[in-house]
Amino acid sequence: MVYVASWDDFLEKSLLLFRSQPDQTRYSTKYRHCDGKLVLKVTDDKECIKFKTDQAQDARKMEKLNNIFFTLMANGPQADISEVGVKEQIEAQPAKKGRGRKQ
Amino acid sequence: MVRLQPDPFLNELTNMFERTTEKGSVWVTLKHSSDKSKLKRDKMKTAGEKIEYKCLVRATDGKKTISTMVGVKDHQRFQSSYATILKTRMTALKKRERKDKRKAADSDKKQDPKKQSSAVKPSN
Repeated sequence: MVYVASWDDFLEKSLLLFRSQPDQTRYSTKYRHCDGKLVLKVTDDKECIKFKTDQAQDARKMEKLNNIFFTLMANGPQADISEVGVKEQIEAQPAKKGRGRKQ
Repeated sequence: MVRLQPDPFLNELTNMFERTTEKGSVWVTLKHSSDKSKLKRDKMKTAGEKIEYKCLVRATDGKKTISTMVGVKDHQRFQSSYATILKTRMTALKKRERKDKRKAADSDKKQDPKKQSSAVKPSN
């Protein structure tokens, strides 16, 4: 099991894996409340990368990754994710006319 | 393996988190899937039909497994509900300890000159 140290590395590698093997790749999350640990795993049954943490800040990063994977998996590997954010998606429609971002 | 609709799935997932508070784990797996067997997919490809892909979400607490298929139209709503559940439930993770220690150290340093200045004032 390959544990990746940096979040950005993990993110990059997982996206690469998914884009190269969209039918085989799966993204798993394991959460243990009693230990306060979170483990993420992305594998295509040939390669496997994991990320382990007990930090609350990583939970927020994980949410972003969840959004990315949901978008990719529902729409297809060619889906444009470019900084998928829940707020941005909600504001995307009304913000088309206006140019102001967060106010 | 129980296949549910997205909303009941989310309810059941919340229950799973509640049950495993004292011990146990919750696994959630996401996969890009068409819900059709390989044979059928190959047939559809040769026939030129477009295969509809969805996101397969599975969750288990080690004993019971539930799953659901989330399509393109539902995925935004599902993803925000899922994020809310996680935020509410994942409370056992540690907060930023290092920064808190630094803040405590900084605030200690700040308090010292404050104490000195406040000690000076009443004397005046």
